[in-house]
Amino acid sequence: MKVAVLSESSADEAAIRILVNGILGTETQEVPSLPLRSRGWPSVLRVLPTVIKFLHYRTDAEALVVVADSDDSPIHQSIHDQAGGEDRRCRLCQLRGVSGDERSRLRPVPGRSELKLALGLAVPAIEAWYLCGIDPQVTEATWARRLQSERITYARNTLKKKVYGTERATIAVMTRHACEAATRLVNDLSQVELSFPGGFGSFARDMRNW
Amino acid sequence: MIESVHFKNFKALIDATLPLNRFTLIVGPNGSGKSTAMQGLRMARNPNEFHFLDVVTAPLRDAGDVIVEIGIVFRIDKTDVFRGSGWKYVGDTFGWFGPEFKLHSGQLEHNFQETFASFLNSFQIYTFDAQKLAAPVALVRNLTLSPDGSNLAGVLDNLRDKEPERFETLNEEFGRWLPEFDRVLFDTPSQGHRSLLLRTRSGHRIEASDLSHGTLFALAFLTLAYLPNPPAILCFEEPERGIHPRLLREIRDAMYRLCYPEDYGEKRSPVQVIATTHSPYFLDLYKDHPEEVVIAHKDENGVHFERLSDKPNLDEFLQDAPLGEVWYSGVLGGVPSNP
Repeated sequence: MKVAVLSESSADEAAIRILVNGILGTETQEVPSLPLRSRGWPSVLRVLPTVIKFLHYRTDAEALVVVADSDDSPIHQSIHDQAGGEDRRCRLCQLRGVSGDERSRLRPVPGRSELKLALGLAVPAIEAWYLCGIDPQVTEATWARRLQSERITYARNTLKKKVYGTERATIAVMTRHACEAATRLVNDLSQVELSFPGGFGSFARDMRNW
Repeated sequence: MIESVHFKNFKALIDATLPLNRFTLIVGPNGSGKSTAMQGLRMARNPNEFHFLDVVTAPLRDAGDVIVEIGIVFRIDKTDVFRGSGWKYVGDTFGWFGPEFKLHSGQLEHNFQETFASFLNSFQIYTFDAQKLAAPVALVRNLTLSPDGSNLAGVLDNLRDKEPERFETLNEEFGRWLPEFDRVLFDTPSQGHRSLLLRTRSGHRIEASDLSHGTLFALAFLTLAYLPNPPAILCFEEPERGIHPRLLREIRDAMYRLCYPEDYGEKRSPVQVIATTHSPYFLDLYKDHPEEVVIAHKDENGVHFERLSDKPNLDEFLQDAPLGEVWYSGVLGGVPSNP
């Protein structure tokens, strides 16, 4: 299965692909010569329609995977999944809105099935997922308390330091740690879904519904 | 490390304090004193080498008695030391003064003047020139990379001979940056000279003069980052020049390697790096470290510098757009007033 990954760096891309393979239980293929990149939120939102269009009309990609950081935006809740329950400040809801609009505009291409999509929201950043199973404090529930102004034990920068050993890791160091973490996580995806039900849980469900 | 530099009547910097970190990225419109601040640091080393009229704020040239001063606050052993030097025009006489030292607090046991002098003396401002980077080099002992990038082949040749492990790591890193290349090679175009080549993964040897400017600039940044004893203070003018936006992250990492050696397994002392940029893409990379970004503002009162981290509500601004775009929009300042 050919799956394109839209991410902020090659380190994220490598780890996300390991997670995708683990969730799908199969080795996905890259779309040749297409290292997609975004410049972080909200440029991912702006570039997403173009990426969807390009993949649909110009490639044989079967699916697109996008993971964004939530930073300090609201965490995705199950209530958002209900009709009319979308939260315009929730980044996952925004990604769904933009991608849904774009996909509804695509013209059919003979021999091509609909582009599948999986959207994830890392709360507050993908390093939080990497710490799952290592630091039980790092969860969506903990971050939600921070968003309500409660003091908690970590911030975005400290997550980087915990994962990479420094706040200023090179791409090579990031890739190594990210891939190690992702490889560990696929052995217990249920734990990641439990700790990050909104951002990772819905991401995994998207893929399982393909 | 230099904590801050105060400029008084120095060119465009009439009364401005530049706060510094181990790494500092200065953004601002053209003519906002970014390069001037770097020049000032260089000229403050030996004020006797420059004339009052070369340094004084233009409208003050004929204003009568004027003092031009560059005051550097330097931290040694957790103590702040002030070093002042400059130029003066008093009673129809041009002159210079300094360096004068003042201890803000505490005591220093060792000779901080010497420490300070050696620190400032190793100061370099780099503005790479692709032709100079590519040029063959006459081999002599202790070659250093010149401000325009001259001597690159010789510096790399030395690194290969004296620090082969570092040279190997540099090759691997460069191969990650630009995967079409796998090795830095050398040639001897004439006796006592070295020139540089890059070998592609398919085995072709590309002479330095045939490499793209961006490739040469990237190699120069990486070379500095892998030197065993780089200069103590380095300045880079527009390091993004010629570099693909996606490679800017690697350029940033090379600078961080210089500044934070302990994070990269290096045992040497940290280098203080000051860079200027006009690139929103490069600025994007500092979203998580606003304390490392200084905005140069230019208004009717002259130039002043402000740390990005001192901006109120910065986190809220960055929820809606990448840092580079927020800066470009003008809400952070540091942009031309017109257009």
